[in-house]
Amino acid sequence: MSQPDNQNAKPDTAPKKQHRIQWGAFLGSMNLAVTLLMMLAIASVIGTVLQQNQPFQDYIIKFGPFWTQVFNSLGLFHVYGAAWFILVLLFLLISTGVCLTRNTPGFLKDMKQFSEGLSLNAYKHQPQSITYTPDHFDADQATQLLEQQGYKVKQHERDDGRTIAGMKGRWNRWGYILTHVSIIVICVGGLMDSNLLLKARELSGNLAPETRSVPLSQIPQKSWVGDENFSFRGTVNVAEGQKTDVLFLPYDRGFLVQKLPFTIDVEDFRIQYYDTGMPKNYASDLVLTSPELDEPIRKTIEVNKPLYYKNYAIYQSSFGDGGSKLDLQVHPLLAREFKPLELNTSVDQIETINTPVGKFRIEFNDFKLHNIVPNSEEEQAKTGKKMHNNGPSIIFKVRNEEGKAWEYENFMVPSQQEGRWFYMTGMRTATAEPFRYLFLPADENRKLDRFFEFLTLINDPDRTQATLKDALPAEGVDERTHEMQLKLMNQLLMLFRRQGFTGITRFVEENVPAEDQKRVRDYYINQTSLALQTLYLSVLEKEETQDLETISDFNKQWFEDAMVVLNSLSNYGPPLFFELKDFTHIQSTGLQITKSPGKDVVYFGSTLLIIGVFFLFYMRQKRVWLAFDNHHQTLTVAGKDTKPLPETEKEFNRLVDALQAQTGIKQ
Amino acid sequence: MSTANASLEMKTERQPWGLRDTIWTALILLGSYFAWDVFGSLMDVYEIGILIGFAAFWIWFGRFWPSIQPYSYATAVLSLLAIWIYIQNGNVYEANETAFFLKYLISSQSAIMWMSALFVIATAAYFGGLFAKSESINQFASFLAWAGAVMGTVGMMVRWHESYLINPDYGHIPVSSLYEVFILFAVMTTLIYLFYEQKMRTRAMGGFVMLIVSASVAFLLWYTFDRGAHEIQPLVPALKSYWMKIHVPANFVGYGAFSIAAMVGIAYLIVAKLKESNSQASFVQRMPSLESMDDLMYKTIALGFAWFTIATVLGAMWAAEAWGGYWSWDPKETWALIVWLNYAAWLHIRMSKGWRGKPMAWWAVIGLFITTFAFLGVNMFLSGLHSYGEL
Ligand code: HEM
Repeated sequence: MSQPDNQNAKPDTAPKKQHRIQWGAFLGSMNLAVTLLMMLAIASVIGTVLQQNQPFQDYIIKFGPFWTQVFNSLGLFHVYGAAWFILVLLFLLISTGVCLTRNTPGFLKDMKQFSEGLSLNAYKHQPQSITYTPDHFDADQATQLLEQQGYKVKQHERDDGRTIAGMKGRWNRWGYILTHVSIIVICVGGLMDSNLLLKARELSGNLAPETRSVPLSQIPQKSWVGDENFSFRGTVNVAEGQKTDVLFLPYDRGFLVQKLPFTIDVEDFRIQYYDTGMPKNYASDLVLTSPELDEPIRKTIEVNKPLYYKNYAIYQSSFGDGGSKLDLQVHPLLAREFKPLELNTSVDQIETINTPVGKFRIEFNDFKLHNIVPNSEEEQAKTGKKMHNNGPSIIFKVRNEEGKAWEYENFMVPSQQEGRWFYMTGMRTATAEPFRYLFLPADENRKLDRFFEFLTLINDPDRTQATLKDALPAEGVDERTHEMQLKLMNQLLMLFRRQGFTGITRFVEENVPAEDQKRVRDYYINQTSLALQTLYLSVLEKEETQDLETISDFNKQWFEDAMVVLNSLSNYGPPLFFELKDFTHIQSTGLQITKSPGKDVVYFGSTLLIIGVFFLFYMRQKRVWLAFDNHHQTLTVAGKDTKPLPETEKEFNRLVDALQAQTGIKQ
Repeated sequence: MSTANASLEMKTERQPWGLRDTIWTALILLGSYFAWDVFGSLMDVYEIGILIGFAAFWIWFGRFWPSIQPYSYATAVLSLLAIWIYIQNGNVYEANETAFFLKYLISSQSAIMWMSALFVIATAAYFGGLFAKSESINQFASFLAWAGAVMGTVGMMVRWHESYLINPDYGHIPVSSLYEVFILFAVMTTLIYLFYEQKMRTRAMGGFVMLIVSASVAFLLWYTFDRGAHEIQPLVPALKSYWMKIHVPANFVGYGAFSIAAMVGIAYLIVAKLKESNSQASFVQRMPSLESMDDLMYKTIALGFAWFTIATVLGAMWAAEAWGGYWSWDPKETWALIVWLNYAAWLHIRMSKGWRGKPMAWWAVIGLFITTFAFLGVNMFLSGLHSYGEL
């Protein structure tokens, strides 16, 4: 059988050099190469299983402080930037390099070697060999036959005869060279695009990422990088009509600000949706100006259609709100009169509101123009549509002075539920939770007026007192008892307003002897409902459009829906309701800008790799020899494949058959 | 001289150009021209490039492997028939409920069901043929596998058409969701297997290989009936690119070939085990020799590796265009690298160290687990930029 090729290396001659040669042997060894490949694979597995570059707190919650510390010191939260990972890559480079330098000269020689000058005996000892006596042998004809089969042919005159040596598939050796060179090229390209330079600057102390979220003007010089940065990839959000000449690069646990040598104006941003509400496409109209340009470049970029300028590329990567203007009405939920506060603000603004129960910070986080949600099956059957649009919404946080935050999602227009119209408002106290929704019933004008009339009336003990007194005359009881009853009602209402029906139940449990509890509770709830109904009627009366003799189904239902809300209003967080009245939608486009000088290097390497792989697998280097022996008039046909495969033997036999058909066999 | 040539021609698969090839070439050129004529206005230059490249490749491929010709004819006829019936029925998607042929045979959903059935029966038939020692059952199994491949391809072609019928906005080549690529996987794996079946002149490994195809069919059916994954969904903006048309199929040549290697690995291990106790066992006699299975493992892994390399490089180029970076260590990317590294190591050990046999077979089987994780597990357990078609 053939010798394994990696034994090409000459046996060491000078014992002095032994030490160095062994190093080379180790670095270029197959064992090291496979070990490194496997280490890279395992590191990559870790990098995907363990979420990378998350906030540190998240890791502590997941793994506890101890393991977080251990993992962190092993660099497992930033595997692909960890020192040991880079080291593995470096070893891979060296190993491949050593292997290449060692094998390439031999391979290049081997590619030219026909081995036409061997002795007859040597041919007889090739992996495939057969000797027979031909009827007639013509060297030119045989050469032709080999050439037809794709062999390159060389003839050689021996003392005792003539050799025709054929070889094909020498590109196979190039396959080896190309694949290994390509690995080096790709790694070099990758290194060019890594942030090693920034790392070096950070080590020397004149670079520090910014971790706060502060305006650009407050970011210290140490967090800025300029044009000297060789390669980067960062993002920036730009509102429509605005421009930018900086970029934000994520770095460690913060970010760096990259100054750009050009300015990008975002003239317009457009987004198209599918009928499912999913974004279909988004595009930005950009104008790029630079001192180097006579004419600014105008281009519309889309997902998958970036703008290339010099060695920069500008991608459409996301979109968001660019500070939409919001006109809001703030309803203090404890107010005694219906007089909402006007508030003009915009997304990304922070407002403060003083209330009797404290000062609150309102952070307006987002505005959504569409909220397209799937229809339930009945709705689908009715409307024939899979989706419906709940209209615009705002997302904001309300924070009290201690820093506790409640997050809300309020919709601008009412949406229909079981045939009735509601204003939805969602609340949650942790981002991981889903929103829990309150459904404020809309009145006949599809507005919230009635709801707030009703609420403010309940909030106002004086008006409540007067209304109840009017509506519930003393019947069969004396004046004092009636006073007492009204007072009780008022107190019950306060309790209900603060804690809902559960508050009343709890009060009874805490203050009434056990045997009377059920009776008292039923009475209290009865009285509370009576009071609420009475107040509701007075609200209806004030609306004047109502016929109070027969209360319509709508109004009955409205009362029930309102009760549900009032009952749980105490869990709604700070006593403020934000109603979105009007807005001006301003979008922002998320641009990703890269400078990637290594990209073309990587592509070049990849091309070499692909070509090399095909040469390696689909070219087989084969040699054949036809050695004619003048003395015995015999022909020795011998063959050798660099890498023998099962078909080697068969192919050789077929060649011999063809040859014998040409030369004939002497019986 | 002439006799010599005759015997040589048998070996080099380079057959002389015949009538058959002329028809083949003419039809492909005609079909491509037709596609360009009808859809050219909707295609960008890259897509026209892909069309030309594909036509050239398919002409070559039909000559390299003549069996692909009848397969292509059958696929084309049935797909065109389906489209014609759609057009006859007002070119609305709902026609798949009313038109008889669509409903029961060649609407995409029916064709895919037929494919599923045919592949499963083919698996059983291959094993039947192996144990009953019946060459005719084996031939029937091959026929079923071919028929399944045709139906699967028809399913994809018609699905392509249907996606435009549902909503012109939704239209896309059906290689964008997990459901769609599972069909691609089943068809691709079967075709690659059928190629080697002819080349090696043995059908004994058919059952083993079709087992993995049946497994993917089982997944596909669960995915359809439990999750309704067969519904045609519009594409997210990042997927709207000509790159998808080449990146995904290239990947699936890789996945298919690696799967075959693993299944052959299993067959190898079984035969090797039985041979230890009784080398004359009739099962051992009927299976291909250990050497040829070992060689097939090598050939399929080499094929898979080459295509997987191409697919990964194309993926990097696409990523550069869609996400702004050719490499982001996104889980899917990273797992593609892991798969690649694994087979690179396999190939090194085999080529340079000359390892053969059982360890390599085990490794090929383990490779399937790694590949499956890259293919499915990443979508199930990890999130990232590639999170299309989550379970
Ligand atoms: C990923 C990085 C790679 C590294 C670090 C690497 C490293 C090595 C090393 C150290 C050797 C042994 C050389 C010797 O014995 O002197 C080798 C041999 C070999 N490598 Fe790679 N290699 C890599 C990628 C590849 C790829 C992608 C292929 C293509 C499939 C490949 C194909 C080969 C072949 C065929 C040999 C044997 C050459 C021979 O002796 O005939 N290598 N490689």
